[in-house]
Amino acid sequence: MTGPAARLAAIATACLAVMGAVPALAADTVKIGILWPLTGNAAAAGQASKAAAEVAADIVNDAHPDLGNLPLAKTAGLPNMGGARLELVFVDHQGSPSVAQQQALRLITQEKVDVLFGAYQSSCSFTATAVAERQGIPFMVGESAAANITGRGFKWVFRGTPIASDYAATYMRFFDDMKKRGKTIGSIAVVNENTDYGTSVADAIEAAAKKNGIPVAIRIPYSASSTDVSAQVLQLKEKQPDVVIFISYTADAILYIKTMRNLEYMPPMVIGDDTGFSDPSFIPAVADIAQGVMNRSAWDIGKPGSATYLINEMYKKKTSRDLDDTSARNMQSFFALADALNRAGAKDPEKIRVALSQTDLKPDQLMMGYEGVKFDSTGQNVLAATYLIQLHGKKYDLVWPDRAAEAQLQWPMKGWK
Amino acid sequence: MKTGTLVLAVALLAYPFVLYDHFYWDIGVGLLLAAISASAWNIVGGYAGQVSVGHAMFFGIGAYVPLLVFNLWQLPPIAGAPLAVALSLVLAVVIGLPTFRLRGHYFSMATIAVAELIRIFIGTWDFVGAAIGLQGPAVGRGWWDLTFRSELPYYYIFLVVLAVLLYVTRAVEKSRFGYYLRAIKAGERAARSLGVPVQQTKLKALLLSAVFTSIAGSLYSIKTGFIDPESGFGILISVQMVIVAALGGAGTLYGPLVGALILVPAQTATNTWFGGGGSGLTYILYGGIILVLARFEPGGLHELWQRLAPRLRRTPRAA
Repeated sequence: MTGPAARLAAIATACLAVMGAVPALAADTVKIGILWPLTGNAAAAGQASKAAAEVAADIVNDAHPDLGNLPLAKTAGLPNMGGARLELVFVDHQGSPSVAQQQALRLITQEKVDVLFGAYQSSCSFTATAVAERQGIPFMVGESAAANITGRGFKWVFRGTPIASDYAATYMRFFDDMKKRGKTIGSIAVVNENTDYGTSVADAIEAAAKKNGIPVAIRIPYSASSTDVSAQVLQLKEKQPDVVIFISYTADAILYIKTMRNLEYMPPMVIGDDTGFSDPSFIPAVADIAQGVMNRSAWDIGKPGSATYLINEMYKKKTSRDLDDTSARNMQSFFALADALNRAGAKDPEKIRVALSQTDLKPDQLMMGYEGVKFDSTGQNVLAATYLIQLHGKKYDLVWPDRAAEAQLQWPMKGWK
Repeated sequence: MKTGTLVLAVALLAYPFVLYDHFYWDIGVGLLLAAISASAWNIVGGYAGQVSVGHAMFFGIGAYVPLLVFNLWQLPPIAGAPLAVALSLVLAVVIGLPTFRLRGHYFSMATIAVAELIRIFIGTWDFVGAAIGLQGPAVGRGWWDLTFRSELPYYYIFLVVLAVLLYVTRAVEKSRFGYYLRAIKAGERAARSLGVPVQQTKLKALLLSAVFTSIAGSLYSIKTGFIDPESGFGILISVQMVIVAALGGAGTLYGPLVGALILVPAQTATNTWFGGGGSGLTYILYGGIILVLARFEPGGLHELWQRLAPRLRRTPRAA
């Protein structure tokens, strides 16, 4: 055998030899299968979260002594597993629950991943976690919010993110705090868009308010594609609640603020539930007439030099955008998972599951404004919480809770005045 | 034809043992489901030539009712399947009577509109879980819940349903009813002038088609254990049925199965190989297949085979 064919064969043999040799030299790897919508109508969120997971894996795999108490940042790899590195296997479930199910199965049986992570849309998390449960592989739900993803009697499913009831509880603690400061909160109003997201959050707020003895003056569900919300604003004007909570997408959030300006209605305080109020187009559109509007975010970039600031810089270098609340919540869940993998000390699924159930991260070990990470028997993080932020000028400042606050809370809001 | 059928049957029966792995079984299940849905669509869309792009309405009903009876009364989901079939039949009559007056594109558009209306309605109706959807039993309480750890039982259940459907289709093909359908497809006015009861025949075809599409939906939701408006009534569900049938050859017995045999593995493979990169290459390849097909073989693979087969048969003699 001579000529090009022989050379090609020689190169191929050499390549194969190298490919065979490398894994033997490198430290062991732990495979994390990640399911996200990388195409379809939630692709933007999936892509942003993918970049966040890659940054998180870098932080774990390489030494980052400057990141404070963040678990596994100081060391390279997982120390308890001989410096094993995390290997991420991404799949695209296209937002389809059945594709999520199928790909979860593939990650487990074909890619032989050690743990699973995902899956953004609650519908996809429902089906993918069921596969993990059947196959006995731990699944960390990064940020899907539907309440009953946990609590189905599954023992392999954990969730790091706060869910609707946590947000509701945060609002109640905030109201309590405000009452102590002498503000009047006689009644609140809840205005929600009427699909999955708006309905579940509004239900949770209504339930929490009832429990805390705060009257809900009115609840107004509406369609996010409405082009006129004057009737809804007039209803609010008539009821005169002290706080109006909006659970809205982008265009409708902007429409509400503008309509309130036109109808000269301004309650003492407006709270937006993330989403529309956090959209990049919200501030340019209505900042001038929405001064003092509050919003929630568990993520805060923080002061220059802080761990969160450095994480944001790493993310920015990769994507040229600031890290958003959704991706950051995914990243936090990822760190909690990595911490459990390290404590498990082995790739045995049962050991990883036990380590996850024993997770106990303190606030100073987190990048998010949670009270900690600790899972109850259903796998839900019971210490998940969120910050409240307020629109001052052209940006949101962290104003509550006091331990993290960067700026003074203004109550009542100024609006356009 | 007899040997062909036998080979196909043996291949489908043996598949799980040739590729003995959960993931390949799951692909097999998906393939059979696509074949069932497309074959059901084929009766009215292929044989009768009434291109419905709203068959998701029957699929969705079939998918929702089993999980609804489970959530309401803790019944095994499969108990909802007959009820779903009954509802689909009612809907088929209600939808069929007015829309069958429309021809060609107008009929297709009307079916899209109805399916979309139902999807939006379901998405705001709390009784059926609104936008959040419904879940099945997370862990089976007994075999009757049909919630299996393995994909293998699903594979054979789906295979039996497909076999029954193909048998029924074959019977239709050979019957007077089948000739009526093809006559309507070839020319509605001509068929009517020859005494074919056009409206009645079309409606019968739609009823038969709705029954099996509804069963396909029930199989889907029982296997997946979850349903929401998009995965039950979404337009992509309807489009998938049309594409699968068209690829294999609409209006032929095995066309939809052949289409599913090619499209489902292609879809899974492209997503598996390129999906993780997040570049959307999956859809580019998938779209490319459809484009090539529409440009060069609009009659589907069945027509291609009919043209190539005689030549292939001649080749050995020439050699």
